[in-house]
Amino acid sequence: MTSIGTGYDLSVSTYSPDGRLFQVEYATKAVEAAGVAVGLRCKDGIILGVERLLHSKLLVKGANRRIASLDEHIGMAGAGLLADGKHVARRGREEAASFRENYNSPVTVQILSDRISAYLQAYTCYGSVRPFGLSTILGGVDKTGPKLFCIEPSGVYYGYRAVAVGKGKALAKTELEKIVNKEVEGQTSLTVREAVSEIARIIYLVHDDNKDKDFELEMTWVCEESGNKHAPVPADLLAEAEAKAKAALEEGMEED
Amino acid sequence: MLSPSPSLSLLLSNLNEFRNSYDSDNTTFSPQGKLFQVEYALEAVKQGSAAIGVRSATHAVLLTLKRSTGELATYQKKLIRIDDHVGVAIAGLTSDARVLSNFMRQQAMRDRMTFGRAIPVGRIVQSIADRAQTNTQEYGRRPYGVGFLVIGQDETGPHLYEFSPAGTAFEYYAHSIGARSQSAKTYLEQNFESFESASLAELINHGLSALNDTLQQDKSLSVANTSVAIIGPADPAIEDIQHSAAARRGYFRVWENEGVDGLLRAWRRSRGEPEDGPQEEAAPDTAAAAGETTEGQQPSAEQAQTAEGSENAPPGAPAGGEDIDMEQH
Amino acid sequence: MWKQRSPGQSSFNDYNTFPLPQTQRVQPSYAHGPTFHTQQPLVTGTSVLGIKFDKGVMIAADNLASYGSLARFRDIQRLHPLGQHTLIGVAGDMSDYQWLQKELDALLREEDALALTDSHPSLSPKNIYQLLSNLFYARRSKMNPVWNAVLVGGWDKVKAESFLAYVDLLGTTYTAPTLATGFGAHLAQPLLREAYEAKAGIDGTGPLLTQEEAEKVLEDCMKVLFYRDARSINKFQIATITAEGSTISDSKSADTYWAFAEGLRGYGAQTQ
Repeated sequence: MTSIGTGYDLSVSTYSPDGRLFQVEYATKAVEAAGVAVGLRCKDGIILGVERLLHSKLLVKGANRRIASLDEHIGMAGAGLLADGKHVARRGREEAASFRENYNSPVTVQILSDRISAYLQAYTCYGSVRPFGLSTILGGVDKTGPKLFCIEPSGVYYGYRAVAVGKGKALAKTELEKIVNKEVEGQTSLTVREAVSEIARIIYLVHDDNKDKDFELEMTWVCEESGNKHAPVPADLLAEAEAKAKAALEEGMEED
Repeated sequence: MLSPSPSLSLLLSNLNEFRNSYDSDNTTFSPQGKLFQVEYALEAVKQGSAAIGVRSATHAVLLTLKRSTGELATYQKKLIRIDDHVGVAIAGLTSDARVLSNFMRQQAMRDRMTFGRAIPVGRIVQSIADRAQTNTQEYGRRPYGVGFLVIGQDETGPHLYEFSPAGTAFEYYAHSIGARSQSAKTYLEQNFESFESASLAELINHGLSALNDTLQQDKSLSVANTSVAIIGPADPAIEDIQHSAAARRGYFRVWENEGVDGLLRAWRRSRGEPEDGPQEEAAPDTAAAAGETTEGQQPSAEQAQTAEGSENAPPGAPAGGEDIDMEQH
Repeated sequence: MWKQRSPGQSSFNDYNTFPLPQTQRVQPSYAHGPTFHTQQPLVTGTSVLGIKFDKGVMIAADNLASYGSLARFRDIQRLHPLGQHTLIGVAGDMSDYQWLQKELDALLREEDALALTDSHPSLSPKNIYQLLSNLFYARRSKMNPVWNAVLVGGWDKVKAESFLAYVDLLGTTYTAPTLATGFGAHLAQPLLREAYEAKAGIDGTGPLLTQEEAEKVLEDCMKVLFYRDARSINKFQIATITAEGSTISDSKSADTYWAFAEGLRGYGAQTQ
């Protein structure tokens, strides 16, 4: 890395001579070390999944969840520094609540993404702070339909059909593209219910058994079945999807 | 101490006019996306003496090893009551712990006042984790230099959490922090599966065994250096409920000095050891050991910063710090 | 709104003969006279009734929001669920009630959002009641009351028993197996108690009313209130909270009998 030692990479308030903000780039490095987080937008809702890496086997099973609710109808899955994730989630909840307070109506995913993005961006402007080491996936169903966004540490955000962040995002994206392409080619798109097993499969595929620690699969959705509320995917459905994912993985291994 | 990657150190030595590095303030990411100041703060936790936490379906227990700075000093308390249903064990900078535990008490009182409820344990831990996170992101601050093990009981049963200066809070079945906590962790990992259904006595014995593993070779658990905190229904067979209203009600209570004697004896019996413990206790070898630190390194930093002192102080020394009056609660 | 000129504000002497000399200076806030907050409710709801029965608790309120003596809004729901197992019935100022709904909904929404991550159960009826009690007392102590009387009904999941309690604009709190606000406290409460004590006894140790019996006595009480309370209408809802959760009935009305009125002076055809 040419940036190291130049002195232009120590603060977000300093550009390098070629116009880069290295501190923001370094912040994205923190994201790349985190367990993968995936979001998929279906015709009837959205689904979020994360690979919750377990750094100790003494951790309570099913606890320490990484997905947060920002409002009744919006969920957030972050990848990066866990504590930064909690910070952004709290800010997101405040923004969503403030929108309701002001306008007496639920915030749309787009507007909430915009507000969170502005917040993250502010942390890339001043030497007195560091950027968030966090990529944030926001998903929800609002009056405009199912919506999915991803906000980077720089504050830049885009809407997505499907998105993956964290370790192994490249592989996850390839798999997600296959799903989305089918839809583009005119085949009927997935329902969230069908997508549960797809997301489970992708996360199991991305997880590197040899290199990574153990993990737990965490999944939430917003769809008609959940009353258009952000809720955990029902335990039985999740267990079924996990079993299928494991089976598919073993099958794939045998083929190799 | 962690140091920047080798390639980086090399670079630093070559650049005398640009004395720069990525570990001197908390608002700077390293090129690998690490926050060195946070990682160094985690080291401060390891300088503190050990604390163990264990949990069953009915109880949560903290066990700590107290240190004293010398013959003339009291043992530094490591257990702090937050509310009837929450208490913490600390490892690291005691003064930081006081700030955070004071904040926790405020949070607990706030929930009692406004909702008339015992604050959910996970939420109170998250509240200090959120505070700690800001200290990793804003210039002119430093991350807290203390780790907590938090036990508590709420509507969803007993809990054990770890709070760390990185701003994270994790829930565990069993956990250890502080000096040589890795040895305890090994014990806990081998045994934690039996904790869920364990009785209070069994749970404490497991905890003491884990704590014992953090000791230096020639040291042993004694009434002077061991303190135990419990949440959950009291067991009159091992607890002196006559002297603790908190115990009678299943609230957070601390056993130390003569109060912990019964627990230590029960533990030694369970291991088939002499109930009175090793004779070392009776004949303190303190003169030489008093000024020495457990790690045998950086004694000044150890004593000035952690203020937790050494585990080698005379066993007869009384426990210091604030008194937790059992009768009051 | 009804702010009056106070003596301290006067720049004239008592006989209005000449302006008093005044020094220009920053005036302390009290120099402008007392500050007035809400002095009276404007759009109001009348009685709310509550009664415990064997499987839970019921709360009833009519659908009217009056503007003074005018029956201004006649399809207002005064029963508001707060989560699965709590429900409030609100009398008094309807704009304060709407503000209260918004605040409590926001609070519960935050609790629910946090619960997704930490699985902690939401606020219990008792927690919500404690909050309301604190709020109402704090506000009346600032001479700025939340102008309502509220019944909180709920199901306490931990204790597995029903919950019913009262709090009003003065911060007054109490609990009883039957409760009523406003006019209902005079007209309906005796009837509710009579029905309750007929089975449970004065000490409340006997069996409680069944759901059908409780609903019947509430309907009777709503009818009595409609007959005698000029700020009521014969259109009301009954909420039922049990271990299974809360439900709110559609609006209904009691069968009324007005034939006696024929003999009343000033009613119907009779003019003298």
